[in-house]
Amino acid sequence: MNQEELNNRLSEIEDRLEAIEQPADNRIWLTCDAENSYAVNKFLFEEVPLRFVIATGIDSDDCFEVLYHYAYDQTGSIITLKTKIHDRENPAIESIAPFLPGAEWIEREIHDILGIEFKNHPDMRRLILSDDWPEGVYPLRKDTDLEAVKPGNGETPSRPGFKPSPPKGAGQTVSPILAVGPFHPLQEEMEFFQLTVDGEIVTDIDVRLSYNHRGVEKISESLQFDQIPFLVSRICGICSATHPLAYVQAVEELAGITPPERALYVRTIITELERIHSHLLWVGLAGHFIGYDTVFMWAWKYREPVLDLLEEITGNRNNYGNVKVGGCREDIPNELIPKILKELDQIEKKTEMLTKAVLDDPVLHARLKGVGILSKEDAIKYAVTGPTARGSGVAIDVRRDDPYAAYADLDWNVITQTEGDVFAKAVVRLLETFESIKIVRQALKKLPEGPVAVEVKEIPPGETVGHVEAPRGETFHYVRSDGGNRPVRHKVRAPSYVNVPSFKASCIGGHIADVTITLAAVDPCYSCTERLAVIDNNNKVIHDYDTLLRLSREKTAQIKKELGAPELKMEDI
Amino acid sequence: MTQALQNLFWIFIFPGFVFTVCLGLVASWIVRKVSALVQWRVGPPFLQPFYDVMKLLGKEVLIPEEAQQTVFKAAPVVGLAGVLLLSTMLWRITIDPTRLFVGDIIVAIYLMVLPSLALILGSSASASPHAALGTSREMKLVMGYELSLVLAFIVVIIKSGGQLSLAAIAQQTPALSISGMLAFLVALLCVQAKLGFVPFDIAEAETEVASGVLMEYSGALLAVWKLVQAMMLVALPLFLVMVFLGGFTGALWAGIAKYVLVLVLLILIKNTNPRVRIDQAMKFFWFYCGVVLVAAVILAIIGNSYGIKWL
Repeated sequence: MNQEELNNRLSEIEDRLEAIEQPADNRIWLTCDAENSYAVNKFLFEEVPLRFVIATGIDSDDCFEVLYHYAYDQTGSIITLKTKIHDRENPAIESIAPFLPGAEWIEREIHDILGIEFKNHPDMRRLILSDDWPEGVYPLRKDTDLEAVKPGNGETPSRPGFKPSPPKGAGQTVSPILAVGPFHPLQEEMEFFQLTVDGEIVTDIDVRLSYNHRGVEKISESLQFDQIPFLVSRICGICSATHPLAYVQAVEELAGITPPERALYVRTIITELERIHSHLLWVGLAGHFIGYDTVFMWAWKYREPVLDLLEEITGNRNNYGNVKVGGCREDIPNELIPKILKELDQIEKKTEMLTKAVLDDPVLHARLKGVGILSKEDAIKYAVTGPTARGSGVAIDVRRDDPYAAYADLDWNVITQTEGDVFAKAVVRLLETFESIKIVRQALKKLPEGPVAVEVKEIPPGETVGHVEAPRGETFHYVRSDGGNRPVRHKVRAPSYVNVPSFKASCIGGHIADVTITLAAVDPCYSCTERLAVIDNNNKVIHDYDTLLRLSREKTAQIKKELGAPELKMEDI
Repeated sequence: MTQALQNLFWIFIFPGFVFTVCLGLVASWIVRKVSALVQWRVGPPFLQPFYDVMKLLGKEVLIPEEAQQTVFKAAPVVGLAGVLLLSTMLWRITIDPTRLFVGDIIVAIYLMVLPSLALILGSSASASPHAALGTSREMKLVMGYELSLVLAFIVVIIKSGGQLSLAAIAQQTPALSISGMLAFLVALLCVQAKLGFVPFDIAEAETEVASGVLMEYSGALLAVWKLVQAMMLVALPLFLVMVFLGGFTGALWAGIAKYVLVLVLLILIKNTNPRVRIDQAMKFFWFYCGVVLVAAVILAIIGNSYGIKWL
């Protein structure tokens, strides 16, 4: 189906829509009333069919808006359905989660931050608000005074994030629950998986997220367009090139800016180097999760030179801070190119060795093949992206579908596997590493001369989306501007947000030993939010961040005193 | 009186507790250092295993409220007693093989299973879901490899003409024949499982059940388990050396070399494999190892009755 046919399909539901706008060929904005939202969404997802990306909740002045973003990958189109809820007192809309499980989390999130009720949602527990957050306070509503919010007043919220544990005794048999998290040797970050087990078999699985929610979207509303790339690059250390790039592309689209050719190539090189080191990192971690620490150490050793290259190009191993609206901040000096090419040869050789070792190991085959299968149907239903989707035979890749930076000029392949198991995902990632090396090589050889940035004056009012293929999948940013120098809404969707919930399809019925590697197979990255508090059983805060810091400092001073070490002064540092 | 004192000296000083513990901690340092080198790391300093145990001994012992206290506390001591007796017995035979009876291969097999049983008891007394899972895995693992291990020893007993005395078995080198070699390789893997090394660290599996069987143990009790593991690292390879490789009958350095060889083989297997699943491990021991060992037993019987030494 090409773009024209897609437009025809969309006009079939014209009578339910208020407006269809098409500012660019592959950006379509539909508007409808809240009452029609369910039917239109069902049509878009099931009839057309489109891939669900994310929803954005917005507090406009006179109403609430819920934006459903869809993608049509054959033409690289982003189709956004805008619905308005006029009742500000009791905002409510029909939930789309019953037919679209991939929307379950985002509806819970919008409920948390804006207080919009989703009717017929299967599970309305908290997702991102902490358990000590007061009920009825919605942080992203414009009229909420966040200074006045006092979390942890001892009241237990009516919607806790945890599934309540079944009552003890009473003669009924309760399936044992195995806790993976909030801190567990499996995970580098804080998240909590509750596995209900029957012997070695997992019968149910539940997750609690946001132990570390930093409120990036809220912070972003208080920063200028120019400062936001630095903020979003800190969402995640590993995707620190792709988040700013998605944001910057969205803003550039809004302002109608075309960055210089050389900047596009520099962006390509940095994002691909990032993909190489990210995939090597995953291979190492995957090895660790199944107890193969030798692979862990070797993969991370081979990843080091990539980080060194990035440091040489951008000045940082992570958080490169190199893209800005209108181009790049730093150029790649031409004299560095031969060195990078030489290093790439080395990296390729070592990755080849590692790939061979991993793919030829019979025990690894036994351990990963047929494990944690995510079928193609489930991959579509949960709207997964990136290697998780490509491992299940869904050939989507933003770099090819909606080309950005310099990808359209370069020769490379989209790697797919049809099995959908953990092994297939490993193969996809390993082979993609070679494609990335190929891309960087070509980009370096073709690197055009010229400046790397154009001057940007003003960001006009309007709304726009940008998406980029991050190592874990599609990173999606939505930006709305009112013509000022700050966005009025900035929505971020990291790929793990849609990839992680697919564990419901891939883990249940598996062995515990397989669940851990299956959870890890989507390469989860919990780009969440920052809040630190010690909470007792009644959700009462007993120490806040400042007290903890003070206690920690006091203890250090105490230990120093006991050791007789001299007092550390600022001058010494 | 002197006899009793001498026995106590054997059990507690040499070649018993003090000697085995020191040797075991050195062996565990070798395991950690060699693993580190294989993985491009620097590895711990020589005294690190000693520091670890000392530190654990000084830490608070936390016992879960719902745990069965007596069993939970007694289990590590039972395990320690088992491996201590095994190690003392093996070294006594090595040092003075002419002594009438210290113990035969059957006693050794029983003593070898004691630490695993103690671990199962202790962890199941801890009332933790992670430990419960670890316990069930450890039980399945024991049931898996124990049969193979006994079959491997039967091969040796046949090769040595029906001898059960360890002193007599240690005079021969069954690994130089086909059946003996097969039995040795399978026994090596069984020992790998007994030591809880990758690919058979299923009961502890850090990234799955967060050290499973040992999860609720802390402080001095955990230190005792660490000592049990260190002592197993002495006793089990030594047992393999005695049963399959001719023991310390030749020069002392040759005996030490055999022990180090077995240890290095164990470390290499540990570092070149991922962890298998419990069902895969049981299948491996029962079907693959079982078939190999039945073949080995048949070969050994044929070899014995026709006087073909290399079979």
